Amino acid sequence: MKSYLMKRISWKVLKKNRFFYVMLIPIAVYFILFNYYPLVLGFVNSFQDVKLLGNTAFAGLNNYKKVTASPFYQQAFVNALIVNVGTFLLQFVWGLALAVLINEMRHKFSKSLVQSVTYLPNLLSWSVVGGIWITILSPSGMVNGILQKMLGKDFRRIAFMAESAWARPIFIFTGAWKTAGYTAVLFLAAIVGIDPNLYEAATIDGASRFQQISHIALPSLVPTMKVVTVLGTMGILRNFDQVFIMGNSNIFDKIRNLLMLIYVDGITKFKIGLSTAAATMVLLVTLVISFIVRKLLKYDEAYD
Amino acid sequence: MQTATRRSHARLRNELNPPQKLIGWILLAITFLIMVVPMWNVIVLSTSTALDADASGIKLWWNRFSLEGYRYVFRVSKLGRPFLNSLYVTTIGTVIQVILSALAGYVLIQRELPGKDFITSFIMLTMMIPGDLTIISIYQMNKQFGLLNSYTGLILNGLVSGFSILLMRNYFLSVPHSLAESARLDGASEFRIFRGIYLPISTPGLTTVFFIEYVGKWNAITIPATILTDENKFTLPLMLRSLILQNGVSTSGGMIVPTNAIMSAVVISTVPLVLIYIFAQQFLLSGMTLGATKG
Repeated sequence: MKSYLMKRISWKVLKKNRFFYVMLIPIAVYFILFNYYPLVLGFVNSFQDVKLLGNTAFAGLNNYKKVTASPFYQQAFVNALIVNVGTFLLQFVWGLALAVLINEMRHKFSKSLVQSVTYLPNLLSWSVVGGIWITILSPSGMVNGILQKMLGKDFRRIAFMAESAWARPIFIFTGAWKTAGYTAVLFLAAIVGIDPNLYEAATIDGASRFQQISHIALPSLVPTMKVVTVLGTMGILRNFDQVFIMGNSNIFDKIRNLLMLIYVDGITKFKIGLSTAAATMVLLVTLVISFIVRKLLKYDEAYD
Repeated sequence: MQTATRRSHARLRNELNPPQKLIGWILLAITFLIMVVPMWNVIVLSTSTALDADASGIKLWWNRFSLEGYRYVFRVSKLGRPFLNSLYVTTIGTVIQVILSALAGYVLIQRELPGKDFITSFIMLTMMIPGDLTIISIYQMNKQFGLLNSYTGLILNGLVSGFSILLMRNYFLSVPHSLAESARLDGASEFRIFRGIYLPISTPGLTTVFFIEYVGKWNAITIPATILTDENKFTLPLMLRSLILQNGVSTSGGMIVPTNAIMSAVVISTVPLVLIYIFAQQFLLSGMTLGATKG
């Protein structure tokens, strides 16, 4: 077997395939410079005391100790967890419900209209989504307008974006608003792929449509649910854009997350060692969380 | 006759009963409104006068139609420059990315390529490295290569993604291998097989990659926020952010940008994506789920 392999990787074979190897050069260069190198650089820096001027010194685990001891990083961890888990759950349920309901629509045009419209927010950048909701939630915005119509003259306008009590609910809602349509597309694709014979057999057995949904459609969606969950857990501690756009000093305590803190510490305050240590820890924690989730879902077994 | 009644009976059973249907419709309508009303509100506000847009109320219809927001955003906020920056960087980057993804995807389907497994894991592994977590090092790397505040930097960062390569690979895998084999026997070069057979068949896959990457680059915030400080190089999302900050609760001093101008900037940032979405829509569903289920 081994000698066979050796023979295969001969000069002649390599030459025959040179076209393919040449094609890969730019891609390999890119990944080395833009993916692997920053990863290694960050890892190395996390053990160093990087100074703007002068020598860098080896710092051991000091940066890591500082991160774990920092109340800011602790708070950011809690914020990231609450906002992102909340967003994930809401968009999951919302997307699933949307997919099931859209699938029940019989009218072709309204079906594709609802699908396109609910998918649209997913196309928008956080700058756009943030701009929209900051305006709508402003004291002179639409939400206050509606509340005033409903509650009458005594109503005092709420500056939603400036009240820390509203910060997390708003972040969770806008996050789900942006992604629910995309999740629905994934679920819908799986629903469409269900074997029609299953439905037919159930119909012959006298199952109602509701029973068909709960006993055929939903169980058939379990693999897709797992994919959505695993993809979601990869991002559970990372959400930079939303905070970068929608955050402000009044509410930062409730929503400032790990990436935002890493960005400010590393790029604005030039605490390279501290921020790379934090980033490395986020990476490790993400890997651990996604490992646990994969195990809980029996994800890898189902796909082997 | 009998089969006909049986069929209509089955059809009846195949619908939700009226109360369930009603609940379904109400839920759908609420979601639809939650999605549509904000966007409609944006369109109305962007074409209202500054006074009307900043007045309180529900504002789902015009008091007076006006394009002063659009004029303001181009004349005073100088949105033209960031718009062109975004257009330039996104278009060039996406075209190169589609080409590179197709080439790499094609390499990955070669059955007898020595080292293919290593190459595949080399690419797959990059998908495990979350780019946003390495922003500090990415900033340093860009500094080392002189890419800060440059168009080249904006184009190069994110120019290749494992996701798009795998998406193209999955697409190419669905092309019958025998086609390439017979062309090879006829003496066609590898490049001709790629260009003449694989690329034309894979239009939906190419469109999907083009769409996903175009949207991603057009909307990118993390990388531009990391490598740009020069306002002349700002992309639309960054410009939009500074407009929002000048209007919002976070800063009180300085020049205040009126709401209709910000909503105009929002519309301008969105239009190119909607156009591309309409153009690419027919190919998208298959491509997007291809990435999500096999990625």
